[in-house]
This record gives sequence, C-alpha cells and structure tokens, in this order.
Amino acid sequence: MNRMAALMLAVATAVVLFGSPLWAVWSLVIAVAAAWYLDPPAVRAGLRVGVVFGVIFAAAVTAAVVAWAEGPERGLMVGGTVLLRLLVLTVAAAVLVRRVDAEALLRLTARLGFERLGLVLGLALNALPRIAEASGDVWTAYSMRSRGLVDRLRRLPGLGEVLLAHTARVAEEAAAAASLRGHSALTRPRIDLPLPVRMVIVTGPVDSGKTETVLALADRLHLEGVPLAGFVQIGERQSGRKVGFRLCDITSGEEAALAIFGERSDGDFGTRFRFLDEGFQLGREALARVQPGGVVIVDELGPVELRGAGHMPAVQRAVKVPGLAGAVVVVRRPLVPALLAALEASDAVVVDVERQGDDSVELILSALNVRR
Amino acid sequence: MRDVRPWTYAALFGTLWGAIEATLGTAVYLGKLPLRGTIMGLAGLLCLVCLRRLQPRPGVCLLAGVVAVFLKVFTLGGFYPGPIIGIAVQALAVEIAMTASSGRPIGAAVGGFISLATNPLQRLGMMWLVAGSEAVSSYLRLLQEATARVGLGGLRPVVIISAIVVATGLVGAAGGLWAWWVAGRVMRRLGERV
Repeated sequence: MNRMAALMLAVATAVVLFGSPLWAVWSLVIAVAAAWYLDPPAVRAGLRVGVVFGVIFAAAVTAAVVAWAEGPERGLMVGGTVLLRLLVLTVAAAVLVRRVDAEALLRLTARLGFERLGLVLGLALNALPRIAEASGDVWTAYSMRSRGLVDRLRRLPGLGEVLLAHTARVAEEAAAAASLRGHSALTRPRIDLPLPVRMVIVTGPVDSGKTETVLALADRLHLEGVPLAGFVQIGERQSGRKVGFRLCDITSGEEAALAIFGERSDGDFGTRFRFLDEGFQLGREALARVQPGGVVIVDELGPVELRGAGHMPAVQRAVKVPGLAGAVVVVRRPLVPALLAALEASDAVVVDVERQGDDSVELILSALNVRR
Repeated sequence: MRDVRPWTYAALFGTLWGAIEATLGTAVYLGKLPLRGTIMGLAGLLCLVCLRRLQPRPGVCLLAGVVAVFLKVFTLGGFYPGPIIGIAVQALAVEIAMTASSGRPIGAAVGGFISLATNPLQRLGMMWLVAGSEAVSSYLRLLQEATARVGLGGLRPVVIISAIVVATGLVGAAGGLWAWWVAGRVMRRLGERV
C-alpha cells in the first residue's frame, strides 16, 4: 500500500509539471492524499505558513505579469497553475526529505558501489552544524564591525576569506581524523598494496614532546642493537623565543644549522623560515646511512617536504631501501594525511604523544616489532 | 594510502555552499530580491574557485556541487528545480573551465562567465516548466516594454535576452577573477604558497 501511495505521489508530481492546467487540480488532490497517507507530519511541516505564503506570492507575481500582457483571464489561469504546481512540489519534497536520512543514503550509495560518495555526503551532514555555527559567528562579527553600506561592501571579501579559511581548516581536521582513525573507507586504497615498510607516524601539537619521544626511542633501539639512521630537528631559542632549528644526525651526533626564523615576507617556500643548505646536506647524509633490517627516524617533516622539497627526496629514497625494518616519521597532526599520501604508505600506525604520553615509546616499539 | 583531502575539502566546501544556498539563497528567493541569481552565483563561484585552488584535482568542483545539491534537496527541503539545476550547471561549468585551463585564472573567469550567463536562460526554462509558455511570452513582452521605456524600443526578445546573457556572463567573469583573488588571500591565510 505504501508503494502504491509513493507511486501515486510521483505520478501526480509528474502530471502537475507536464500535464494540462486542468489536471493540476486533480494532481494536487491526489498528491496531498498520497502524501498524507505516507507521512502526515511531513505534509504539515511542508505546508507551513511561511512556505505557503512564499508560494502564493510567487503565483501572484506571475499572475500579475501575465494579466498585464495577456489579459486578466489568462493571468488568473497561469497564476492558479503556478500555485498548484508549487504546492504539489512542496508536498512531494516534504515527504521525500523525511524519508531520506544519512543511513539510508549510505546504504543506497554502498549498494550502488559509491561508498566514498556516501561517506562524503555523511561528512557534509555532520559538518553542517559546525559550518552553520561558524558562518553565524563570522556574520555577527562582520555586522558589528561594518559601519554603513560602503564599509560593508569593503569588508565583504574579508568575510568570504575568513569563512573559506575556516572551512579549509575543518576539511584538514576531517582528513586528519579519517587517517588517524584509519577505519574510514575514504582512506582505504582501491587496491590493497603490499606493505613496503612498517611506518609509524609520531604526531602531536607544538612542544608536546615529539622530539624527546623519538630520542628516547633511538636510545632504546640502540640498546636493542637495531641499526639506526636519521635525524632530529632541535629548536633553538633566545629569550624563550624560537629563532631557528638545528639538525642533528642521530647516529653520529653531528649538527648543522637548518633554519633561521625570519619575517613572514622573506621566508623560503612560503614559510617564515630561511633554510640553509648545510642542514639539508647533513639530513641527506644521515638518511643515506639507512641499512636493511634497520630503522630510519625522521624528525620532522613539514609543509616544505609535502611540496616535494627539503628532506622529502632523501626520505622517499630511504623508506624504499629493501629490507628496511621500519620508519618513524614525526609530523604535525594536520599534515598526517598528506604525508601518508606523499610517502605512498598503504598503512601506518599513528602515535599521538599528547594522548599516549609516557606510553608512546613502548607503542612505537611494539608497532615496529624489531626488538631482538 | 590515498590522500583523502580532496574528498574532505569537496565535502566541506560543498557544505558551505549548500548552507549558503539554503539560508541566504532561500531568503533572497522568497524576498524576490533583484539580482538574486547573480548574488547566489557569485557565492557559489567563490566556494568553487577557492576549493579548486586549495585542492587542484579534477573532479573536486563536481563533487562539491553534488554535496551542495544534496544539502539543498534532502536536508533543507528545497525541491524547486531552479536552484538545483543552477548549482549543478555552475559546478560543471567551473569544473570544465578550471580543468581545461589547468587551474589558471582564465579558467575562473571562463567558469564564472558560463555559470552566470546560463542564469537567465535557466530562469526562462524554469518559468516555462512551472508557469507555462504564456508566462514566458509575457515576461518577454515585459522586457520589451521595459527596454522601450529606456529608449531601446523595437528590439526583438532574442536580442534582449542575448544582451542580458552577455551582461550577466561578464559579471560572472569578473566574479570569477574576484573569487581567484579572494582564494589567493585564503591560501596566504592558511600558510600555503600562492
């Protein structure tokens, strides 16, 4: 019976759009009856005062234009047809909207073989409240700061800019979450590739102890007799302010200056740092010492490497060394998905030092599985 | 592991576009504001061009369009075909133009031109579908009268419509370049290299 009602609603909707105006009255009656049978609350919600008022207004405008051009009789006829057509569309939409939810959509897309599309639409549904809330906040700030029409127009690009940047940040967080959890079909490759190397990503916020964790790990691996290669980047501070980075070879202890903090406008690779060749050179030499059965430690990779520059060519060569037991790479949270893609890693264990705290080293060791 | 960011960016930018369409769009359409199609077209253009600059992968604009249509139809109850067709056409136009231009500013301008130039034609099509051919001919007569009042009498409807199409297209082209400029500012704000 439900199927029959749904079919009647669909046919009535089609007839009202493409049939003669006289049929529109009967189509409306049939559509409302079928919709009421299927879902009475949907009909009540669809035909609320504001919506009906908008429909009447649109029909009245159309009727007025046609009456002016073709005479009152024709105007009344066309206005009436528009009214009926819009009412049927509204009723059909109200029923359809309540029948389709995220889960039904996911089931449908999975059945059709578009699982990723279903996940994208699910993500959109979940993100909608957050985006709407941010839009409201940005709009409030824009309204309060703008004085007069000219000022409003002048600030309009800024409004768009803030909203779009916020949206991009939410998208980065969503991508990081998908990778960190590792159970989303979004991150699953279409073809299962053989795992080239045990990859451990060490992540966490600034000053959360990522470098200390990998140094402790290096000590443990050294005690276990595991061959090591790689480097750590140590922040240099003056009066408590970060002024640059030095690169330290994990095996030799040799150090070289890597980056100097500068003004935003004169940084390299679009960053606030000026990079020095000697630091990259030492990084390349450190990574070249990687051995089969060993572990390579890279602290850390950033936006420069994700653009294919900096340490990235040497890292890509190092993780492809045959027989390499594992790779430990430090990277900030938002860059995790991009890094995994850049290294073509089909699987990885992500250790967040902020969340795991003192257990981080043990977790990395068990993920690498190289203890002797 | 595949880079998931094109998917999440398309989802989020499509969400933003869908949210704008469902809130601002509904308000301007119900309020019958003048140039409502152009206003909403420029908002969509901004989302699409910025998305394409941040994630220069073919298909992201189309996916964002699918998300925006989905939100417009299923979440927020918009079932009138006009805006839905408008969103789909705009996403397709920007996708094709940006892909063909390899993501250069000319792509944003051409995409903007096509997506906004189709607005008046789409409006005529929807008028024909919802109100019938009489409403279309009445609307065209109204346009002829209006142009005659400003000293351009005797113009055929097809000439008037073509002029409107070109004018809105040019606004769209300018809007595309404006969106490109705003997208550059967004990229700088996010610390990306422009």
